[in-house]
Amino acid sequence: MTSCAELNRRQVMIMGTAMGAALGVSPLLGTAAAAQSSTAAARADTAESDRIAADFIGAADAVSEGLALDLPALGDNPSAVPVRVHVTEAITDDSWCEELIVLAERNPMPLACRFRFSQASGAADVAVRLRLIETMHVRALARMKDGRVFDTRGQITVAAGGCGL
Amino acid sequence: MANPPRIWLSNETPAKDEIVRVRAQVVHIMESGLRLDAAGAPIPRDTLTRFEARLGETLVLDWLPETAISQNPYIEFTFKARESAVLKMTWTDQHGVLAEAGRQITLS
Amino acid sequence: MIKSPHFTRRKLLTAAPSLALLTGIGGAALAAPEGLTSETLLMSRQGKGPRIVICGGGWGGLSAARHLREELPEAEIILLERNPIFWSCPMSNKWLIDVVDTAFLTQDLLRPAQKWGYSLVQCEVTNIDRAAKTVHTSKGKVDYDFLILAGGIRNAYEAWFGEDRQAAEYTRQNFGSAYIPNSEHLALKNKIHNFKGGTIVMTLPPPPHRCPPSPYERACVMAWHFKVNKIPAKILILDPKPQIAPIGAGYKAAFEELYPDIITHVPNAKVKEVDPYNKRIMTEAGDFDFDDAVFMPPHQASDMVWYADLIGKGEDGRPTGWADMDPRFFTARGDDSVYIIGDSMGAISPHFGHYPKSGHVANYIGRIVAGNIGQRVRGEDVVAELPDNLCYMLVNGDPQEAISVEFTYAVGQDGLVHQTQIDIDVRTPDLMAEDFVWIDGMFNDFLR
Repeated sequence: MTSCAELNRRQVMIMGTAMGAALGVSPLLGTAAAAQSSTAAARADTAESDRIAADFIGAADAVSEGLALDLPALGDNPSAVPVRVHVTEAITDDSWCEELIVLAERNPMPLACRFRFSQASGAADVAVRLRLIETMHVRALARMKDGRVFDTRGQITVAAGGCGL
Repeated sequence: MANPPRIWLSNETPAKDEIVRVRAQVVHIMESGLRLDAAGAPIPRDTLTRFEARLGETLVLDWLPETAISQNPYIEFTFKARESAVLKMTWTDQHGVLAEAGRQITLS
Repeated sequence: MIKSPHFTRRKLLTAAPSLALLTGIGGAALAAPEGLTSETLLMSRQGKGPRIVICGGGWGGLSAARHLREELPEAEIILLERNPIFWSCPMSNKWLIDVVDTAFLTQDLLRPAQKWGYSLVQCEVTNIDRAAKTVHTSKGKVDYDFLILAGGIRNAYEAWFGEDRQAAEYTRQNFGSAYIPNSEHLALKNKIHNFKGGTIVMTLPPPPHRCPPSPYERACVMAWHFKVNKIPAKILILDPKPQIAPIGAGYKAAFEELYPDIITHVPNAKVKEVDPYNKRIMTEAGDFDFDDAVFMPPHQASDMVWYADLIGKGEDGRPTGWADMDPRFFTARGDDSVYIIGDSMGAISPHFGHYPKSGHVANYIGRIVAGNIGQRVRGEDVVAELPDNLCYMLVNGDPQEAISVEFTYAVGQDGLVHQTQIDIDVRTPDLMAEDFVWIDGMFNDFLR
């Protein structure tokens, strides 16, 4: 790929010759394509995510079961990766999920969202769409009414996609 | 509001205690606060801060999205249809209530 | 007909022999139809503006023609299209189950040509000689100052059958993909409505291809038809991709919730071999027998881009199958008198590859290129514009529920085009209503 500047210069040249008239030297790239950039960067490690998870777990012993994370084989649209999380054991009026968090471990802000349920909910099954800055693990934690914490992780490979690849 | 929330329910006339699935999506920029405009100045954060679903007066879901949630936030959840009532959904961002929607749930 | 005041002596000479016979309407003999020679002119030059030839009268070509007329009132604009009528691929899946009728999808091409004021010639492009700036057609040759190639796609059956033309034609005849208007669309509709039961196999082309979501939409509308008419049909989607994509979540929900007994999605099913005669297909995900099929072979840029020798080469030196062009100005690389618009376009950015090969993008690029040519002819700076894209996909027939996807583009600090994809995958009837508003706007722009 050519850079913006090279593109401009070359384009001016070929257009000038084509029409047999000079088009001048002003830049071709107009206002329609306003450049946008971001200070967002992927995190080098999972420390911040781990800290949030530790806060959530508190004094409980987290177990790596009881929570299912459904992820696509490939995050073909990194700006909306479908993620479903649900508690696998029966939700009853005596045993229900109080709180659930989803972490995008390497995102600039790892905490993706928090859910709170009530006894009335009668369920703990949610899905959202995440934007992921790069290939990473997504982690979900759920706390049950009796204080048990479920903890699960899964990797999502992010690939540029959409309709064009 | 230009774009009302889009809502899909698996069943608006469920049996008592049936689990009903809800999908809802609202138009929102979900500006992360990490982007710069063309002049290099930061674009302020503007995200959905809360989504609440109540069956009648009873809270069934409270969702607190952060910046990793996609533009036009999508939420899917299930709840137990304990009574006939309006499922009321409210989206809030930092400017206040963004959208409200209700769907009548009638036990069959 | 020839307007004598504009018909210079030089033009008369070059126009000989066939057109010379047409002079003298008042009394001389009428010309008899003649066989085509390499010298036959399609049309002599008129007026003093530049001549812009547009090859292809689909969404892109018609849009370019209309907007060029407004940009350049003096220009001679000639649109070459092989079909007598316009047939829209967008909405054609919905037409398969009569959400819209044939009149909605189709229109005579004469009306937009009359309304906007450009010359329409029904002919086949047979070759392109860029050195002579000449397009050869089934009605003679025509020279150009600017050329817009808007030919859409070709079906690359060679990938399956090599030089076996018979197998390719047999496959097209019996299991046509209905991705190029219009006979195959009618055949597919008949096939669906007469299907008595059994397994229909549907192959998806490997990306990039024309309108990626629509094979899934087609599977949905077919499944809906079979479901409501209680036809014991199975649809096997053989997908070369590892999962349903794009808009995977919305389609996955539709497949699983609306058509669990009808649609089976088979991932990683790259086609290895097709035996159309014995109704068997071999893929990397297994071999399948079928009762009927909708075979979508790989797509490539339309034939005319190959004729113009404008197909790109990959790093491996092999043809990419798509146009080699500037990603911001849509001009052919090394020949800026030629533009490529619509589905034939090559890759735009390493970040996402191609623009979606959709009617919406074709219309948008047609408008952009018309504006850019206008700027060049007027001696102004040429402004690089970016398109967007919007698609609605019907996933349920009753109630009519659709999902949607939107793409926006911006230039990043790296100087490259970046894409943002926004899925609306909560299937609702209002998206179907929006679809009609969208296509009305589109048709009003270039067709009606």
